[in-house]
Amino acid sequence: MDRRIKITLAALIVRLAIAPFFMHSGDLGTIYESSAIALNGGNLYSFVYQQTLQMRYASGLPLFFEGYAYHPLLIYFFVPFYWLYTAIAGPGLVIIGGHFPNLPVLVYPYAFLAIFMLKIPIILADVAVVYLLSGFDVKKAEFYAFCPYVIFISVVWGMFDAIVAIFLLITYLTLQKKSYALSGFAYGLSTMKLYTIVLLPLFIFRLWKQWKALGEFLLGFSVTLLPVAYYMIVSPVVFWNVLVGFQGSRVMGGVNLYNFVWIVPDVQFDLQISRLPTILLLISVLAIVLLYGRRLPLLESILSVMLVSFVFGAVLNEQFLVSILPLMLLCKRCDARIWIAPFIFIFLRSAFYYFAIPILWTSPYFYDLYFQADTVWKYAQTVGYLMIPIYAVGIAFSLLLLWNLIQVLTTVDAAGARTLSRIMRIRRK
Amino acid sequence: MQWSRDSRLRMKILTIFFIVYVVLLSFVPLIHQVYVAQSSWLGYGTGAYAYQSPSYFVLFNDPYDGSSKPNIHVNPSMAPNERISILEFSDWTSYVDGYNLFNDFNVTIRTSSDGKTLDATYTRPQLTLHKLIELTSDAVQVKMIANKEVNVHVELWKWIMTSVNTITTTSKPTMIPITTSINFTFNDQSLNATGLGEITLSRTPTQIEIWPFENGFNRVTVDFINSEMTFTVSGSITQPGQVSWSYADLPYVLPVIAIVVVTSYLLLAKRHGQENKDHPSRSHR
Repeated sequence: MDRRIKITLAALIVRLAIAPFFMHSGDLGTIYESSAIALNGGNLYSFVYQQTLQMRYASGLPLFFEGYAYHPLLIYFFVPFYWLYTAIAGPGLVIIGGHFPNLPVLVYPYAFLAIFMLKIPIILADVAVVYLLSGFDVKKAEFYAFCPYVIFISVVWGMFDAIVAIFLLITYLTLQKKSYALSGFAYGLSTMKLYTIVLLPLFIFRLWKQWKALGEFLLGFSVTLLPVAYYMIVSPVVFWNVLVGFQGSRVMGGVNLYNFVWIVPDVQFDLQISRLPTILLLISVLAIVLLYGRRLPLLESILSVMLVSFVFGAVLNEQFLVSILPLMLLCKRCDARIWIAPFIFIFLRSAFYYFAIPILWTSPYFYDLYFQADTVWKYAQTVGYLMIPIYAVGIAFSLLLLWNLIQVLTTVDAAGARTLSRIMRIRRK
Repeated sequence: MQWSRDSRLRMKILTIFFIVYVVLLSFVPLIHQVYVAQSSWLGYGTGAYAYQSPSYFVLFNDPYDGSSKPNIHVNPSMAPNERISILEFSDWTSYVDGYNLFNDFNVTIRTSSDGKTLDATYTRPQLTLHKLIELTSDAVQVKMIANKEVNVHVELWKWIMTSVNTITTTSKPTMIPITTSINFTFNDQSLNATGLGEITLSRTPTQIEIWPFENGFNRVTVDFINSEMTFTVSGSITQPGQVSWSYADLPYVLPVIAIVVVTSYLLLAKRHGQENKDHPSRSHR
């Protein structure tokens, strides 16, 4: 069998074997509950908005309910699999609750099937990345296929950044081949998690004055905006509040230098100070686009914008790196071993057993063990012991991103140096 | 790899800017703790509130949790960053006219415009109860005001009280003589600290009961029939126990961590740069 097929199949098998037994209750629960709403023709954002209003009313604070706050298209990747699941198991709820700080109620045996089915789009995205990467370099494909961090995010956690990753990769590959409409479409799909929106100025800048190419790109991109337009017409206040309001005014933090904010228990202050990284993000993205947008090769220019947005942006969750990992693997100047930092961070932020809830909830004995372990974990959290490594790893990851950014930006010099030495050789001859 | 001078300078500026940025931001929690967080109710998390005065730290939990409503901590004078819980009001186990404060009421939490008073409003049909929490320099006041006369059962927890109004041991829950002053000595299990606490009631209760646990008591229950009652809670630590590390110390530690991490980064980057100079081929994987 072709090595490329072998790696792809191996990546698939590993993921399928792990998928049913683990999950991040909050995130997978959101997809489960949103799939049900979408399948029943409900408004995805109304539920989140109502919960937000309820939280604000109860607390008197400008809080947001952390539910479905993504591009409307995202859920349609999951809905077919959810529909298939209900065709087998029926419409009864099997994952109930689970939004922080609550723990979910799972109904067996179908909870396993629901978890498995909802991870299939993520697994397919992962496998597609492996397949595409293996077309360039089998070793890089192997790296992605068996990287513990990628496997964890996609099939243990159940987070869908692999879907962003495949569409970003396709965006790059199709732009290279000058398939602008397809590229615009793929890029539009990659914005299902809004952090890739920072690339839009870059693409426009690079295609500026190539009017036909830019037009095709924007046409492809605009197709993906149709559901956005629909929600903007049907429920503008709700949609704006949930998507733009939440994403635009999130309190900073994550695997970055800003997670110190977690020990500042003052949401008003936290919101104010979170404006600083947002301003820096805008300035830095603009600077990179204008200074390097055209000077760098396409791959490096995409990576430089994404990296600078990760370095300065207010929120950098553990899973975000998955989205650019395939591109980093293709870039000779990046060090993809950077995944180790967010991987460590996951286990500092969440107790490892949290992801094993589908297994632990099967028996009262394990259920009890969960709470025993959780008492110790919460003590370590409350006393503040965990915050020290969390902060250290956050800064370390920001610095590693900066290091990679500098390597990518200096591609200009490397390319210049190569050209110079070529000229010198020719002259000598 | 040959970097142009311009580019090298630009990257150096970027690195220096970022490192200064990291280190400066690491002081934010400390600045907040010293200049912003003092003597005002601040909301955080999923709707919890906290108040730090020079001698007390009071936590009022979010609407999704019935514990710590409020939880009153004292900061020992010899270790001002320590927070030792002296008394916790529990909504899980408190009742008004037979209705559980956590399960049977809708709760909204607001602060006064000056940030000095926290008002938790409990509502259900024909019944409204305000729990107003204010701090003075030497005590914490928890005022309960209802829109009518109500029959209230309040549970006050402390793990563990070694004596309550001079009673040191009982084998079963015991009613103590009715009084408006409850004094207790305590042992804080987590920090092994010992101290004194006092609860002064503004109205005469109908019943006070103490509940034995291990070698002391873990709660005092107060029953009263009235439309208003103020619990004035004060306390002090007589022996601080194992004072070594506190959550409130974190703001002092973060700048140190930031400096250590950025210094390590600079050293590693310098070594990497040196290796690349010596072996240029290594710079490309």
